[in-house]
Amino acid sequence: MSYVTIDQVTKGYHHQVVLENISLTLKKGEFATLLGQSGCGKSTLLRSIAGLEDVDSGSIFIDGKDITHISPRQREVGMVFQSYALFPNMNVFDNIAYGLKMKKAKNIKTRVTKMIELVDLVGKEQSYPHQLSGGQQQRVALARALVMEPKVLLLDEPLSALDAKIRKNLQKELRRIQKELEITTIFVTHDQEEAMTMSDRIFVMNKGKIVQSGSPVEIYTSPVNTFVAKFIGNYNVLSMEVFHKLVHSTELNGKEIAIRPEVLQIVSANEGHLGLHDNWGIKGLVKDVSMTGNVLRYEVETEGAAFLVDNLHHKGKMFEQGAQVQIFVPKKECIIL
Amino acid sequence: MKTSLSFHKVIVGLLVIYLVIPLAATLLFSVAGKWDHTILPESFTMKWYIELFHDERFYGALQHTLFLIFVTVGLGVVIMLPTIFIITVYFSKWEGWLQTVAMLPYGIPPIVGAVGLIKVYSNGPLPITGTPWILVGAYFITILPFMYQGIRNSLRTVNAVQLVDAAELLGATKFQAFRTVVFPNIISGILVSTLLSVALLFSEFAFANLLVGGRFETIQIYLADKLNSSGHLTSAIVITYYSIILLVTGTVLKLTFKKDKVPSPSSKKRSVFFINKPFRQKNTALEGENS
Repeated sequence: MSYVTIDQVTKGYHHQVVLENISLTLKKGEFATLLGQSGCGKSTLLRSIAGLEDVDSGSIFIDGKDITHISPRQREVGMVFQSYALFPNMNVFDNIAYGLKMKKAKNIKTRVTKMIELVDLVGKEQSYPHQLSGGQQQRVALARALVMEPKVLLLDEPLSALDAKIRKNLQKELRRIQKELEITTIFVTHDQEEAMTMSDRIFVMNKGKIVQSGSPVEIYTSPVNTFVAKFIGNYNVLSMEVFHKLVHSTELNGKEIAIRPEVLQIVSANEGHLGLHDNWGIKGLVKDVSMTGNVLRYEVETEGAAFLVDNLHHKGKMFEQGAQVQIFVPKKECIIL
Repeated sequence: MKTSLSFHKVIVGLLVIYLVIPLAATLLFSVAGKWDHTILPESFTMKWYIELFHDERFYGALQHTLFLIFVTVGLGVVIMLPTIFIITVYFSKWEGWLQTVAMLPYGIPPIVGAVGLIKVYSNGPLPITGTPWILVGAYFITILPFMYQGIRNSLRTVNAVQLVDAAELLGATKFQAFRTVVFPNIISGILVSTLLSVALLFSEFAFANLLVGGRFETIQIYLADKLNSSGHLTSAIVITYYSIILLVTGTVLKLTFKKDKVPSPSSKKRSVFFINKPFRQKNTALEGENS
């Protein structure tokens, strides 16, 4: 039984379609991510679920209730904004207590204190937003949304304004809290690594449509089209015609072929062959080498195509720019698009 | 570095001298007795102030000016604040129109505006020429640019649209969101607009003279009248009116920022009015976070 259902939602601005027949379902307690480039419609979809944008057609259901046309305050959803949207005139305690006060809830002090403990902000209750770091402000925003015990938590690129180290820490924190409270969460990001790390399920969006959905492993290992392959994992995408010429074989058929950079093996041009039954060998020239710490990324120019090859960084095993090499493509790792 | 600092100090010093000299000279002239052939006055006297403060007309003119300012600025805030808020937050596509309307007073010289107003309001359904009400209307339009810019900039600085979104998602109604979240964060902007408007209206002469003249004497009309009788007395009027503006501005600023425990983002930069106590609480930042 789905807890969140988005059914055929369409939305446009000035005759331009931003969301086109979007449908998706989420289970209770699931952590789903809307992943896509800027302008693909992911934030608009999130704001439509929150009620901050009206949809042109379609329906949105949460826990069986149609919320498509009710006001944001009645939807029982919590939202954390990219720029936090904390109230500058209120301290941490009052920011978190705001929603409870509006609802005239009971035990406000106890509930807020508990939430402050959950997001590890004890001692900061009397601080004002401008006295907190970006990460701390983000945790206040999260606590402010969570204290209302929303049915669905919406996160609109909440970590994008933070630096890398804090972002990694907050990703773990966010996931821990989400699991602890078992709250259904929809997270928006353009960072595929962030989406892979945090999500139970990813919905990849492009030009107002969901182009693929699935678990992080499914999305990464089985992209359905060129867009997903390139966006999600720097895949080498080649037309089948070029590939046939490169490997001198027509064993595979289809329109295009996608190969992950890390499954390619790179050896010296005169270094023999890796099991020819399982691999195709392609000769080429190293055009560029870059290092991202533990990974060496080669750009290898072959006759008719350039390949990205990722290898683990082993001491003394590195090809210089201009080196003649041979790359081996494992047959079972080739994905036909 | 040192030379550059000295240069800046000289520039600032010259600017201060340029601004202060006319005011200091006016002050000196207002308390001068005999001052004909010397650089500084030969004698000092308070008789011009005594004469001014014994003049019933002065108090009447001051009262009229304060009444006009109070009513006009009050109306300006009451009408423009919700209008600008609603348009900025809910109907942003109309913002261009509001901006054009608010900037119109800059394009119409007071003399042209006054002639038009006299023609329209001399007779017909609303014959208010010569009454203070026509001045209230004209002044409302005059202060529109200050009201609009100040309030709109404050709303943008605090990102009012997102604050309202956040408040509504937390269960607030639109009015509650405005009253509890937006308004407290734009008070400083409203205050700046109000003070600019007060200062402008205090010294407004063209509309007052053309639309009502002596029938509802304001401080500027009174000043213009006294210009012909005694330079010492007009200097005393100018100094008195500057003192009143300073007093009003200082009091309002002091009261507002005293109540304000923590500056809003828009007022943070104006730390000259507000000094924060150092923040000494224990830091609970995550690894890598700075507080």
